[in-house]
Amino acid sequence: MSKASPRSTAVRAVDPTLAALFDVHEATLPNGLKVRLLANHQAPVVSLYTFFQVGSRNERPGITGISHLFEHMMFNGAKKYGPKMFDKTLESNGGRSNAYTSNDMTVYYDDFSADALETVLDLESDRMRSLRISDQTLASERQVVMEERRVRVDNEIPGMMDEELGTLVYKAHAYRWPVIGWMADIENITRDDCQEYFRTYYAPNNAVLYIVGDIDPKKTLALVKRYYGNIPRGPSPASVLNAEPEQKGERRAVVRHPAQSPSVMIGYRGPAASNEDTLVLDVVQYILTKGEGSRLVKSLVYDQKAAVSVMLDWSWRIDPGTILFYLELKPDSEAAKVEALLYAELEKLAREGVTEKELQKAKNNLRADHLRELSTNSGRGHALGHYEALLGDWREGLSLPTFYASVTAEQVKAVAAKYFAPERRSVVTLHPEAGAEEAGDEAAEA
Amino acid sequence: MASRKIAKVKNTVRKAAKAVRKQATAARKKVAQVKKAVPARAKKLVKAATAPKSAATGELKLPALHESTTSTGLRVIAAERGPLPLVSVRLVMRAGGVWDPQGKDGLADFTARLLRRGTKRMDADGISEAIEFVGASLYAGVNEDVLSVYLTTPAEHFSAMLDVLGQVMREPTFPEKEVVDARERALAQFANDLDDPSSIADRAFTRAIWGDHPYGRDLGGNKRTVSTFTRDDLVRFHAECMGPRISLLTVVGAIDPATVAAEAERAFAGWTGGPDADPMLPRKQEPLAKAGTVLLVDKPDQTQSQVRLGGPGFWLGHEDYFPATAMNIALGGGFTSRLMNEIRVNRGLTYGVSSYFDTMSAGGIFALSTFTKTASTRVIIDVALKEIHGVRDGGLKPRELKDAQSYLAGLYPLRTETNESVASVIADMRMHGLGDDWVEKFRDRLRAVTPKDVAAASKKYAFADRPVIVVLGKASEVKPLLEGLGPITVVPASDYE
Repeated sequence: MSKASPRSTAVRAVDPTLAALFDVHEATLPNGLKVRLLANHQAPVVSLYTFFQVGSRNERPGITGISHLFEHMMFNGAKKYGPKMFDKTLESNGGRSNAYTSNDMTVYYDDFSADALETVLDLESDRMRSLRISDQTLASERQVVMEERRVRVDNEIPGMMDEELGTLVYKAHAYRWPVIGWMADIENITRDDCQEYFRTYYAPNNAVLYIVGDIDPKKTLALVKRYYGNIPRGPSPASVLNAEPEQKGERRAVVRHPAQSPSVMIGYRGPAASNEDTLVLDVVQYILTKGEGSRLVKSLVYDQKAAVSVMLDWSWRIDPGTILFYLELKPDSEAAKVEALLYAELEKLAREGVTEKELQKAKNNLRADHLRELSTNSGRGHALGHYEALLGDWREGLSLPTFYASVTAEQVKAVAAKYFAPERRSVVTLHPEAGAEEAGDEAAEA
Repeated sequence: MASRKIAKVKNTVRKAAKAVRKQATAARKKVAQVKKAVPARAKKLVKAATAPKSAATGELKLPALHESTTSTGLRVIAAERGPLPLVSVRLVMRAGGVWDPQGKDGLADFTARLLRRGTKRMDADGISEAIEFVGASLYAGVNEDVLSVYLTTPAEHFSAMLDVLGQVMREPTFPEKEVVDARERALAQFANDLDDPSSIADRAFTRAIWGDHPYGRDLGGNKRTVSTFTRDDLVRFHAECMGPRISLLTVVGAIDPATVAAEAERAFAGWTGGPDADPMLPRKQEPLAKAGTVLLVDKPDQTQSQVRLGGPGFWLGHEDYFPATAMNIALGGGFTSRLMNEIRVNRGLTYGVSSYFDTMSAGGIFALSTFTKTASTRVIIDVALKEIHGVRDGGLKPRELKDAQSYLAGLYPLRTETNESVASVIADMRMHGLGDDWVEKFRDRLRAVTPKDVAAASKKYAFADRPVIVVLGKASEVKPLLEGLGPITVVPASDYE
């Protein structure tokens, strides 16, 4: 197991193909705003990303979902560009914008015609400097987010199971609640809560700006300084304590809901993104579920015909995250049986490891997917931000191919043995229920 | 992961890609929905490559197209594009859902997806291993008109992967066991889809709006039709409907055109069968059979209603494309559209609303898609209709049109950012006769649209006739809310398994 330990000795070489693509210009303004600029003149378009270090991880009970609700509020007007003006200005200049919130961060992005760069900087800096939150827009946006919750969680089986799983895997950590928040909290978050959120987390020293595309880095930096330079620095936000206790044994929950088939969602407690085991688990993920010939797809779907589909999500997180499996079954399937088949495969991986050929296949796929991810302006901008937020430096992303190439069969085996232990496991089973008249909580909520 | 806006974009040139991906990624989609830390956009980061630094003039050009034809009649277009060592391949032919035999809805799609489950020389595992070992991927599926196969590969393995593609096209064996297993999985998937409100609403809408027209069929089939599929059905469909003389192979990426032509000749040598010329469905622009009616799909466990409205549209390559597109951007396309503004921003009735033209080879529709909590089902329909009728009766203000033009013109270059999207647009230009200057002239043509053009298009397409209305939700509560919209038919969700 010592083979798969947190990063220590590894000096990773930057991949030469990637190095050629990432001639990044970096700067930090006096107010703490970090800026990363990357030119790509293939098409007259630009992608701009703003990463704020705040997500549901920074919330507390009572205001769960505020990071996300607040993300919506960022589109509802600031001092210079009032209500509705952000989108109106951007779109009429050949641009579009969106954002997402995760457990760890809130990310805003704009894709636009290159000649709209200055307008976009004006728009983005305006809302970072002087967001205005009105009761009226908050009331309306709250309804929008409640509809979002209904569509993603309350009326969606994997959504409701995932919410249940979160509260099983985590007892103390803020990863316990869903990013979108509990319905009652969404209903009760106040304007003051939002104001405080803005002051605490949306200061330039808590943000990084990435601009990728048809730009001149030198001129662009001058523009960034002009538009963002006078936004005052804020206090450093409080750090989040990971008080999660050790898990002592398997945890289980049942969801009863009208459905055609049973299904199973399983979470194993994984490491933090900064732990090198995370990268070995990326390899494990590919071995298990990437492609029709991957272990679990071949075994559970094709050979044993036990599942309609099998999915594995291993997403990097700042604090230890969850290795999540979701098994979609057939109407007459027995969930327990399929579970047993999955565990047998995971145990086999931990006991016997992988063949060199399987390992090489995973590496080849990781490299190809990595290149694809980096092949658009938006992909590059997002990747830079993602690596910087989760690994501490965007350069770490350039050495990922070298790291993946160095992973050994021993490491894979050790990581599988360590993380796929039954005492790290939480299991949510969906038991289909016929009649639908008793909608329970949902009726109460509507 | 939670975000501000649902990406719900339909555009004509990507339609085939969309349909295929829908099939290919049906499984992955579910995981994306439960993921919390990985952005939904990550799955949209498709393969691409960037040209070496060159002058950025704002001009938009596709890479040079090199054409050849193999000895068996397969047309090949190669476009070199670097520097990333990746290649995207698209093979298309008119063998989409409308060519499904009577009572065999979904056969084209089913056949396409089983191509890689066995050939004369390799079994399913061998094919998967060959493709997946090198980091390549291969998907196949159909839209209404076109069957498409997508291959992406690291450039160094192009020849080997084209060889696999050639085998699965020329000599698939459709092993009995694979057919039986796939049929069983598909039937389980149809059952599970009943728990996916959006999918069932879409299925109900397609059937309701097209009626008996071939475009009204379930592209992926349904419980009734797929359970009748036999190996012979697949063998026959492959032999009769698929073939080199109606196919186009498009190759975009870090590979030189001479290699593409030579490798295509080798990989597809001896491919026979299929029609001699493209089959065509007659074009038709007729009033909808069920205009003015309401279909209510009952799913009693829902706290939210899925809403679809639709009326007649136009076919791919139609002269109304640019004025109608400009109208749609202002009405229900962008984030500042009239529908988004009135329904989401001002009233908080939904998380997502969009309108779109769905254009096929022989016809099309104009439609709206949204959802809201059960209690506001009627309000959302009334507001939507009011906005659509507002455009029908008054067209767009000149400023609105100008903004819509700038919006789409500014973002249009993104549609040619990746090898995959370039391969798709080339295939679409040729398949649907859009002309080789389609990309280059797109923005000029869009900017040439006048308010008068838009007014004329709006009169035609913004529900001149009463629309078809489809609602999926808790019927006992929703039905009373729909009174007065037209005759209401209530059906159980299970009708769409």
